[in-house]
Amino acid sequence: MVLQANDLWKQYGDRAVVQGVSFTLGRGEVLGFLGANGAGKTTTVGMLYGAVIPTRGTVEVNGLNVQAQGRRARQQMGIVTQDDNLDPDFNVLDNLRYFASFYRITGKTAQVRAGELLAEVGLQDYARHRISELSGGLKRRLVLARALLNRPQIVFLDEPTTGLDPDARQDFWRMVTQLKQQGCGVLLTTHYMDEAQRLCDRLLLLQNGQVIDSGTPETLIIKTVGEEVIEVDGLTREVIEPLAAEFGVWWRSLGMGYLLVVPPSNGEQLWARLSDRHPHRLSRRRANLEDVFLRLTGQSLGN
Amino acid sequence: MQPQAPLTLWGVYAAWRRNARVYQSTWLVNSLPPLSEPLIYLVAFGFGLTPLVGQITYNGQEVAYLRFLAPGMMAVGILFQSYGEGAYASYIRLSYQRTWHAILTTPLTFSEVFAGELLWAATKGVIAGVATGGVAIAWGLLSFPYLLLSLPLILLGSLLFGAAGLLTAGLVRTIDQVNVPLFLAVVPMFTLCGTYFPRTTLPTPLNEIASALPLAALADLLRWPLGLPSHWVWSLGWLLLWAVVCIVLAWRSIYPRLFR
Repeated sequence: MVLQANDLWKQYGDRAVVQGVSFTLGRGEVLGFLGANGAGKTTTVGMLYGAVIPTRGTVEVNGLNVQAQGRRARQQMGIVTQDDNLDPDFNVLDNLRYFASFYRITGKTAQVRAGELLAEVGLQDYARHRISELSGGLKRRLVLARALLNRPQIVFLDEPTTGLDPDARQDFWRMVTQLKQQGCGVLLTTHYMDEAQRLCDRLLLLQNGQVIDSGTPETLIIKTVGEEVIEVDGLTREVIEPLAAEFGVWWRSLGMGYLLVVPPSNGEQLWARLSDRHPHRLSRRRANLEDVFLRLTGQSLGN
Repeated sequence: MQPQAPLTLWGVYAAWRRNARVYQSTWLVNSLPPLSEPLIYLVAFGFGLTPLVGQITYNGQEVAYLRFLAPGMMAVGILFQSYGEGAYASYIRLSYQRTWHAILTTPLTFSEVFAGELLWAATKGVIAGVATGGVAIAWGLLSFPYLLLSLPLILLGSLLFGAAGLLTAGLVRTIDQVNVPLFLAVVPMFTLCGTYFPRTTLPTPLNEIASALPLAALADLLRWPLGLPSHWVWSLGWLLLWAVVCIVLAWRSIYPRLFR
């Protein structure tokens, strides 16, 4: 186990933004914090690396208490914060070289390590570029490279792909998979369910600062929603509600239409009954984490 | 984050070196103000005011105006460079560039980053003080041993005003607000503290207020070749007290902006 968080609480005045969060993270594991904006993801991550002081609770990284032994604990961490706090006073290469000095990696060693990482994240051709000349995706790659300078055993990625285009997100996902393969523990916060589903071995679902459920993405989907859902547009609540009750399935409104869980035994019958009502649109798909989140919180992840 | 974590020399040096490296990369532009400003002032006051003022009375003796002026200009250079670095540049690194936040994700502690920033602001003050002194030496107004012996004073003044700048950076919420202490405290101090004329020419109440300000103590002490004031030990203690208070307040104003 590389990280252990015990009963973390954070309170601002009367408002508790994180309430009793506990979890562990193993080597080579990607753990995802999934939650809508304001769920407490960033505050929790802040407590994990020492930027936010917990009101209660402890965090240990490889047995080191982050509050009491922060310097040694952070020697083993790589941190990608939400904002690109790259140093605009340096070019791409120097951003890495000077950041390396904070880990006591200097001179030739720093130069070599910076070169390796630039190649690893595909920025070798940008070494002499100013930060202002990089696109959002290239900046995120550089922030990730910077977080890996000290060969960390645990990497915190706080909403690392927010604002990136699909290609850049795919690149980022590939790099996270590589970290996992190298045995690095990765803690990822995101509100993208496809990202969480694809990358994470295990998920903690957060709402109002509390863990409302946890498990592997597949387990969460099956136990909370089921295998499949139907999306239907153009029918009224008066039609949907009795049908859902008759089949004993969960339903809710979704955009202009409705979402219903497909019952495992008589899904075809439900589909046929809905088709008979001539909806504008009727589609069936595999359930996903967005549905889990909707069911558990009544909120969409994007909110 | 552990604010009480012990400082390491490496941590402070690494934080200081980041700023030094940026300065070094634009050294030509950066070295212009500390050299050109005193030169311009000496030319202006030397050719413009000296024929009008001639000798002035300072500390009970007649001295040439430029000899009186040179240490005052050193004090002003120290004030503006260290305060400006602490207030404006540190504020930008704190609030816009978020350089502090980035460094604090590494093993460096808050105290080390703070100390590195303070020492860097002080370094800018020392550069200004020494450059101004160098120009005055070239002009024949001061001697090289004077400059060497004055280095501890230059450093103390630079630390004090650098910390005052950092305190400003910790207190203000927008960069425009940095102008408030600049115009309410720094500019009055720079004009009234006996840098360009002896404070004895001021009305007594104003003289007493000006004399209590730290720049007055620094200017008085830097004029040691013209005779130390009778209260020089108090002046030194006063400077030290200001420095300690500013450092503590600056530390306390910035810490809550980084750790919640």
